Amino acid sequence: MTAATAAPVRHRTPRATSAIPLNAARLLRIELRRNAMPWILPLIAALFWFDSYRPSTGTAQLYGLRTFWNMGQGHTIIDFGPFVAGVAAWMGSRDGRRGLADLVTVTARPRWAAQLATWAATTIWAVAAYLVFVGVMFAWYAHQSVGGTPPWWWVAVGATAVTAFSAVGFAIGAYWPSRFAAPVAAFIGFLAMALSSQTGFNYTSGWGLILPTNSNGTFDGNAQADSGIFYPWLPDLPIARIIFLAGIAVAALGLTGLPARAGGPWLRRAATVVTLAGVALAGTAVGLADTARLSAHGMVIPALHGAANDEPIAYTPACGRAAGMPVCLNPAYRRWLPDVTAALAPALAEVAGLPGAPVHAIQVAAAYPSGGSGPPQVITLGGHPPVLRLSLGQLDMPGPCGFCGGPIATELFTEQLRLAFAHAFVGMGNGSGSPVQQAVQAALLRGAGIPFAAQPRLLAAAKNGPGAAAGPATGPVYAAARGLATLPAAAGHAWLAAHLAALRAGRLTLKELP
Amino acid sequence: MTTAGLHRPVPEGAPPPVAGTRRDRAATGWRLARLYLVSRRVPMALALLAGLGVLLWAALHWHWNIAGGAAARQFIPLTIQTGAAAVIAVTTYGPFGEPERAAGRWLPWLRLGAAVALTAVAFGALAAGAVAGGMPGGTLALLRNLGGMAGIGLLSAAVLGGAFGWTGPMAYLLITEGALAHGSTTPWVWPARPPHDRGGAICACLVLAAGLVLITVRGPRESGRDSGPAS
Repeated sequence: MTAATAAPVRHRTPRATSAIPLNAARLLRIELRRNAMPWILPLIAALFWFDSYRPSTGTAQLYGLRTFWNMGQGHTIIDFGPFVAGVAAWMGSRDGRRGLADLVTVTARPRWAAQLATWAATTIWAVAAYLVFVGVMFAWYAHQSVGGTPPWWWVAVGATAVTAFSAVGFAIGAYWPSRFAAPVAAFIGFLAMALSSQTGFNYTSGWGLILPTNSNGTFDGNAQADSGIFYPWLPDLPIARIIFLAGIAVAALGLTGLPARAGGPWLRRAATVVTLAGVALAGTAVGLADTARLSAHGMVIPALHGAANDEPIAYTPACGRAAGMPVCLNPAYRRWLPDVTAALAPALAEVAGLPGAPVHAIQVAAAYPSGGSGPPQVITLGGHPPVLRLSLGQLDMPGPCGFCGGPIATELFTEQLRLAFAHAFVGMGNGSGSPVQQAVQAALLRGAGIPFAAQPRLLAAAKNGPGAAAGPATGPVYAAARGLATLPAAAGHAWLAAHLAALRAGRLTLKELP
Repeated sequence: MTTAGLHRPVPEGAPPPVAGTRRDRAATGWRLARLYLVSRRVPMALALLAGLGVLLWAALHWHWNIAGGAAARQFIPLTIQTGAAAVIAVTTYGPFGEPERAAGRWLPWLRLGAAVALTAVAFGALAAGAVAGGMPGGTLALLRNLGGMAGIGLLSAAVLGGAFGWTGPMAYLLITEGALAHGSTTPWVWPARPPHDRGGAICACLVLAAGLVLITVRGPRESGRDSGPAS
């Protein structure tokens, strides 16, 4: 026993676990410094400016419109993805191209781990650049006082897409160590984006919604301008796309760990599990997208939907007056308040004092089309006391209009708003109304400054779009309208006061007009 | 241990080897060209160009069109032409650097010959693929677009290095799509112009000529000589 006590104490050698993260960090730092991605970033920055930012500046200053092209139709991903895939393929093929595969296989660190460090460095550069470029673009939008809130979830989708492109490109390079791996990976990236666009345009529901360039149900429809203004951008579909793209990235990275030289048996089994997990993730996301349905505020996926996202965004309205009546808009639309009040003033002055005349005008959120009865009305009138509800998100606001033939003139906006008001005031609803309602609408429009001769063009444009063919302002409706318009203002006012309820109910005929 | 395979050294003072006959020179030239083409992975490039031709044929035959305007209709054929230009650009990459430049007197001519020949082969492969019908702009537009894009690829190889020469045609594809989508008509975006447009053809020819001259005279950027992404 004495010998045992006399024996020197043997200290256990500390495990080198603390050195592993340090070594990994050093390896990552080296890979970051030796990466090819920074060399391509100036080119991507130029393309980003040309293809993602520049076209967006031609749209109205609302986030839903500004980001329709670059986020909704995925042009930020198209600008980044294929180039990132190409450079990642170049980095992934590095050891093989240089004939170093055997040399690095026998190092202490598994080859898969070293490859992951190279991939991580490439991806860090790419994702960081993506976030910086998008951040600068949004900062510039903010400088231009673009209304609403940015679609941050779609930024996350873009960053995940860049990660997925990087992983797929890296896997191509790792499996095919050739100088042609980079252009082939970039080419595959472009083709994937092309097919995504081709399929995405045709799919307004179902699995096709998972495609990163599909804007259906998210940035499309009449309400594209009001996401992030009246209600939050719904995160349901972005979350599904993030899961899908992350699944692709995980599966591609798992594939790089499958070859015999990647590591030991346990590591390769882990790579197999990772690959299968990635495939399962992507498949789950496709299944989730298949359950998506269009709601008033965008695409809802029941399994991912949070009730908190249905809460409207609180705001302090920006108010003005038209013919003495308060008109209140969302502050995101503040810049157009003078246009709206100027457009409504003559029309409101005509009906002032009538029993069914509005006492207040407020802006309401434009709803996504829910199918069935066509697009919802731009202006509705209802309540006690009557309130005018303006769904301005359905209109092209005055000024730049990126996806129209040219800028929207204030006169055109004014005419459209007056037509929508007269349409709502006579109670036409979503239809074209009775002949009497059409005649009274025509008389109201003339009183608001739109001559009869100009009205057929305005009506045709409202129905079939700008430039639609229009006939002359003739026929019994316009004859009756001319008769009503020739009455003294007081007489016309008195007739409307007496017959407004019957007019709205559609109980009058043209012969009953004065 | 044997002496088999050893060559007797040329004794000092012996006359230099007599210049070869015309046949010998031709054999040497052919060997030089073959080695150059192999070092540039031209066989793989030919295989890829043939694959792109088949892909174009499939896209036209099965109408893989994107719904929409001119930009959408031309996207897949233009992407395939871009792929061909990218392959041509990447073949300029050489791994030897300074020793090759120092020893290879014929190197500029080899670079020129390879670029011209590959462009011609790419046109042939894509024209064969376009036999399926429905190629936007027809063969003339294909020749103009491919030639101009190959020029861009050669220019970007001269600037960024052969390994990254593919980025030029790919970037040009995005610019072209943006121009088509927004109705731009500058001749520098020649795919957006009609097939018989003189301005577009002149611009494409100028770019191709500039690319060929630069790649012939200067060659692609090399990592050993210049700092760049191909290091």
